[in-house]
Amino acid sequence: MTLKVDAIRECLEGVIPGTMATASPDGTPNVAYLSQVQFVDSDHVALSYQFFNKTRQNIMANPRAALIVTNPVTVMQYRLSLEYLRTETSGPLFESMKAKLAGIASHTGMSGVFRLLGADVFRVHSIQPVPGQTLPAPPPHRNLLSALRNCSERLAACADLEKLLAETLACLKQQFGIEHTMILMLDQATRRLYTVASHGYDASGVGSEIPLGEGVIGVAARECTPIRISHMNAEYGYSRAVRESTAGSDWASALETEIPLPGLRAPRSQLAVPIVGGARLLGILYVESPQDLRFTYDDEDALVSLARQLGMTIHLLQMAADASEETSHPVQAATRPHGLPLAVRHFAGNDSIFLGDDYLIKGVAGSIFWTLLRDYTDKGRTEFTNRELRLDGRIRLPDVSDNLEARLLLLGKRLVEHEAAIRIEKTGRGRFRLRVDRPVHLRAE
Amino acid sequence: MPIAHEPLVDAGHADFLQCGISICIGACDRDLTPTLARGTGCRVAPDRRTVTVFLSATQGALVLRAVRDNGVISVVFSQPSTHKTVQLKGRDTAVAGLQPGDADIIGRYRDAFARELEPLGFGEVLIQTLLACPPADLVGLTFTPCEAYSQTPGPKAGEPLKADT
Repeated sequence: MTLKVDAIRECLEGVIPGTMATASPDGTPNVAYLSQVQFVDSDHVALSYQFFNKTRQNIMANPRAALIVTNPVTVMQYRLSLEYLRTETSGPLFESMKAKLAGIASHTGMSGVFRLLGADVFRVHSIQPVPGQTLPAPPPHRNLLSALRNCSERLAACADLEKLLAETLACLKQQFGIEHTMILMLDQATRRLYTVASHGYDASGVGSEIPLGEGVIGVAARECTPIRISHMNAEYGYSRAVRESTAGSDWASALETEIPLPGLRAPRSQLAVPIVGGARLLGILYVESPQDLRFTYDDEDALVSLARQLGMTIHLLQMAADASEETSHPVQAATRPHGLPLAVRHFAGNDSIFLGDDYLIKGVAGSIFWTLLRDYTDKGRTEFTNRELRLDGRIRLPDVSDNLEARLLLLGKRLVEHEAAIRIEKTGRGRFRLRVDRPVHLRAE
Repeated sequence: MPIAHEPLVDAGHADFLQCGISICIGACDRDLTPTLARGTGCRVAPDRRTVTVFLSATQGALVLRAVRDNGVISVVFSQPSTHKTVQLKGRDTAVAGLQPGDADIIGRYRDAFARELEPLGFGEVLIQTLLACPPADLVGLTFTPCEAYSQTPGPKAGEPLKADT
């Protein structure tokens, strides 16, 4: 039986660098050390094209190449016989390798030297084990298939979005031993991702945002591809992107409207995985670790599968909610609370909301909150349904398929974190109540 | 008056080639299919005109077959801690068994390579296992370097080797 590339993926992590031989048309061999060998599928690998060197000249003239890769634990070597097929200079494979190379570059002190010009894709014709001494492989820490099965069953049992997201992060901790995790949802209209759940940080960071295309998370979302980096890297630090976006905002000079993104200050391993529901990108599942090489190809496969199920479940929950929502009860006047009035300020420019001087939220969630409060103050309403909000022209929902539940969840969490006198309480599937404990005074700014 | 050609490998390079650094040997058969194998030590002749690299005949069977056929070889020496990399090419490669003293060179090389990699997080046992080979299986490939390049990653990679100053 011939070996396939998926059987030796651990050799491609770059712990022991791979070496490559090419030959010019006159038969002169050339040997090079490789900074990156990327698994593409069982019959293909991709190598980073960083410089126009002899290797490059050779494969353009003679597509045959040989590779030696080494298992970093057993030191088993494999010789691969390759044939060059094509070079990709954009798209998921390229972006994934570019992000990974940035990690490798900063780990090896080569930042500023390593720059990905292309991803050279090769067909693997054969993989031969090189005879030699090896070390025994220790047993794995955990069985990822078993972990995935357990998580899959737990996710299937979740009946609402809040529980589903919390359960996903709990599963990652308990079954995969991953301590630092977050889930971000995509806002198509503003091309930004916003954090809806996190685990393992001092501050939850719920409501914090990152632009599409920025950092590991933003690039994974833009390309809809998993991105896994096994060493610390400066180039893909996403917190910097957030600071820059703050600096560019005309708001920032007067008012602090940015919620800091949660995250380790110096993660050494990062993995961002797209959450796809139906055929749409819904968001990103992001995990990180202070340890080098924490996430393997197998972890990536497991988390991609988990995120796939998460996406489908979000999609199904939303469809079920749409189908089962009841119409609103007749308007009934709520009892007005007593006490010191709370000033709620709304800035129409970006739908940002301030409770007194404290920034709460902006965007669609801000617009929803303002609409709820206006109905509350004008008509005394406290009972609402998701369906009516989805159809309400005052709320600028990007489109009807927008994940309204995620916005409400975000708004609800921000109110709890602010210990605000206003809360959102679920009263049934697709229904909720606005609980107001202090008189509110609305100010349109 | 004609001046004798200086060897391509100067004294500084000779020291570099013979210290504990990674060695990889490439060859190419007459069908233009390249192949390669890990080397396990290097001996530079006192006049620095020939270089011998050692490898396991079993691991390097494809390399040996190609080299016996056409004598063409390419060897890369790379220091993991500094990324300093040198590539030598030869066209007159001869395959031979070990000479007296070669086993000691190989033993010292393995120890030095393990010491080089220890600070990078690789254990001694790992490196010794990677380079392990029955003594009878070791052969030497001796060639006259006819081309030498610096291959340290960066804009100057691929430039002809210049003497260390």
